[in-house]
Amino acid sequence: MEKYDLIVIGGGPGGYPAAIRAAQMGARVALVERELLGGTCLNWGCIPTKTMLASAGLLSEIQDAAEMGLLVKDATVDYAALLQRKQQVVAKLRGGIGQLLQAYKVKVYQGHARLLDRRHVEVQGADAAAEKLETDYVVIAAGAQSARPGSLPDHARVYDSRAFLDLPALPRSLIVMGGGIIGCELACLAAQLGAQVTVVELLDDILQLLDRDVRMEVRRHMERRLKIKIITGGALEQVVADEGGVSAVAGGEKLQAEGLLVAVGRKPCSSDLGLERVGLTPDERGFIEVDENCRTRAANIFAVGDINGGPQLAHAATNQGTRAVATIMSPGPIQPRAAIPSCIFTAPEVGTVGLTEQEAAGLGLNVNVGKFVFTALGKALAANVTAGFVKWVTDAGTGQILGAQAVGAHATELIAEATLAVQQELTISEVAGTVHAHPTLSEAWMEAAHVVAGHCVHAPPARPRKRK
Amino acid sequence: MAQTIIMPKLGQTVEESTIVKWHKQVGDSVAKGDILFEIETDKAVLEVESFFEGTLLAIIVKEGQTVPVTTPVGFVGTPGESLPELPPPPARKTPAAAPIPAAVPAPSRPAASAPAAPPPAQVPAAPAVPARRGVSPRARRLLKTLPLEASELAGTGPGGRVVERDVLDYMETSGYNALRLTPAARVLALRESINVLELDCGQRIGVEEIKAAVAEKPQPLSPMRQVIARRMLQSTSGIPHFFVTVSVDVTEVLAWRKDLKKSGGNCSLNACVLKAAALALREFPLVNSSTDGRSVRRRSRVNIGMAVAVPDGLVVPVIREADRLGLDELNRQAAQLAVRARDGKLAPEEMRGGTFTVSNMGMLDVENFTAIINPGESAILAVATVQQQPVARQGKVVVRSIMKITLSSDHRLVDGALAARFVNKVRSLLEDVALWKNMI
Repeated sequence: MEKYDLIVIGGGPGGYPAAIRAAQMGARVALVERELLGGTCLNWGCIPTKTMLASAGLLSEIQDAAEMGLLVKDATVDYAALLQRKQQVVAKLRGGIGQLLQAYKVKVYQGHARLLDRRHVEVQGADAAAEKLETDYVVIAAGAQSARPGSLPDHARVYDSRAFLDLPALPRSLIVMGGGIIGCELACLAAQLGAQVTVVELLDDILQLLDRDVRMEVRRHMERRLKIKIITGGALEQVVADEGGVSAVAGGEKLQAEGLLVAVGRKPCSSDLGLERVGLTPDERGFIEVDENCRTRAANIFAVGDINGGPQLAHAATNQGTRAVATIMSPGPIQPRAAIPSCIFTAPEVGTVGLTEQEAAGLGLNVNVGKFVFTALGKALAANVTAGFVKWVTDAGTGQILGAQAVGAHATELIAEATLAVQQELTISEVAGTVHAHPTLSEAWMEAAHVVAGHCVHAPPARPRKRK
Repeated sequence: MAQTIIMPKLGQTVEESTIVKWHKQVGDSVAKGDILFEIETDKAVLEVESFFEGTLLAIIVKEGQTVPVTTPVGFVGTPGESLPELPPPPARKTPAAAPIPAAVPAPSRPAASAPAAPPPAQVPAAPAVPARRGVSPRARRLLKTLPLEASELAGTGPGGRVVERDVLDYMETSGYNALRLTPAARVLALRESINVLELDCGQRIGVEEIKAAVAEKPQPLSPMRQVIARRMLQSTSGIPHFFVTVSVDVTEVLAWRKDLKKSGGNCSLNACVLKAAALALREFPLVNSSTDGRSVRRRSRVNIGMAVAVPDGLVVPVIREADRLGLDELNRQAAQLAVRARDGKLAPEEMRGGTFTVSNMGMLDVENFTAIINPGESAILAVATVQQQPVARQGKVVVRSIMKITLSSDHRLVDGALAARFVNKVRSLLEDVALWKNMI
């Protein structure tokens, strides 16, 4: 029986960095993956969608080229070529992970892992007999998969995000069930590539995690520029799928489309890991309870990423994975919690980190907010990307930056500066006092910081408040 | 002429009270008997009625302020009339968390608009700039940005003047420069007067660490807790306690209670304990007495205090002449007092005059405990939880309902043999089910 210091279950963005970090620190490590290295993120999530979005975004720009003084005719989508590029990008990155694991002498097992007890893991390969491994520690990074309401018909025209990305052709019309991050991103992708899209969200608005002004900006662009129909505050009902297409009812309206994309959340893959044999019972939603360092109730078993109920983001999983390994390899004080940014690749993009204004209000915090719109920024006008704004949420007492949101072009890149500010507990005066190069979009952060301080050069004077 | 409303003295031991809420605002008309405000003494929250008629002209003591009794708190009179001049209210150490009493306004200014003084800082405001004059403006400006106490700062300028260089050196030698203090943490520490040099953390000092330090600052105890603290210390340091425990077999009395309930009656076990103690006290009057070490006060009545847990404290309402009350009446009074105590509605006189105390932790699942004697009494009975226990009866092991009771006695007055006889009397009374059957 092979004996390891650490066995990592799952080769996604939570698992493989944990395996490599542990190997860097001298551990003998095995990684078990039942599908493809890179996990959901690389194979069916972040990377393939962003590859396709790059094409879709470029197409949108070409369609708007006339505004920029360029005449481009007959730009059309070659969906097969687009898919092929996606596969190349994914394969290249996946190969890179394999090489890295090999270079660090991490033994990769292909198969499904189950815990036998707290120190033994069984790997069931596709066609081989089960192999039993021994280990001191286990990091579970098994991830999550799309949830699918049982009421939906089982039909090829009803698909989750993973199946949607592998469709040989883009449906000409699409109903998206769920107005969360995945639903909105894929709705924008399909719409930019020419599909007629309807988004149906049960809650009162799409993208509920964002502040209302940010949501409104995204929603306005989705509806006006991408012609996406958005129905909120009602369930998608009476779904019927057949060869002719999908029909359903939402908000009292009859909907008809070539396909239905189900994006109503992701449920953890915790049901077949042998957790019951080590005394770990997932909660009613399937999540494994962990402490700040991702340790489960079983002292030598850690759970990172989508499976532990934290933010379902690749970079959060990576952070947790390396954190768990740090705890295993050099137990010490609890590290300060990391600020985890969230990026939403809609059109326009959104980046958010820390507390939103509504979350701060919910916590009873007294905040000052500073916003700066891109229409007032030279670079945004020059580049013809004037939609959106950036927004700081700061503590009214100390000026501490509690959170930030950016919506607009490159918002997912811009959020990095705000993340640093939140993580390092900067106050608004540090940002306001930092010179930002001109002309760039990132100047918006500095201007918004000046707005908080009340001396923004590039905004009209605040109207004096009426005395009561 | 405007009438002065004073902080009433509600209870002999009450020295100061806090206004919790004004029911009238300045300008409101006031009739005799109207509730003017609510006060919190160390024992209860009470409503205070007006003895006067007219208009509330001014409020001197605002909500949340604590002042000694008889301090003027406001004026009632005719609108427009001038208010009498007052000396400032007697000084009281005001804890940092509570608003300080506002200075009494000058006669020409309406009291209601007097600005409240800022709460005084309990910790010296950081930075504690050396008190002498010799600090250069640049050094002072720099110090104001540093959340640390610089009392050890030595000046090297002319005549020992502290110059900027000294502050910079101190930042290095004190270890301040080596701290990993986040910008927001620095601002918060300055605002909250936290000396970051005293923080005990090896890693980065962030907002969380400063907030933890703020939370760890000494906070004033509530008036009730201060009374508890004073009296408990007075008792343990002044009264030589000793303890005697017996196990009471309450199987029979519990069975009797069950039957009583079936027939529509009710009586708590606590009422039985109170009654048994009262009867035993009548038989052992020395336990119902008190001493200061030179004299003994033999109480003519058996007034039993009943300790009741309330949020953030404990009050002891007194059941008067508990030995002479019928069991059902005693049961009723005990239940009512407990409810009123938890609601903070006890009147001060309801908490006075006790001669003995019963502290019952029966609901709290404890095997046994000892209690601290209330000053002014010579004993207290601690009642623990009834537990199913194997015990020997007539040579056989049987399971019975056992409740341990422990008497704490003042050894200056009560000797071991007396205490033993007393608790055994309580025990035998409780075990005598025929007695209880005759009471209701």
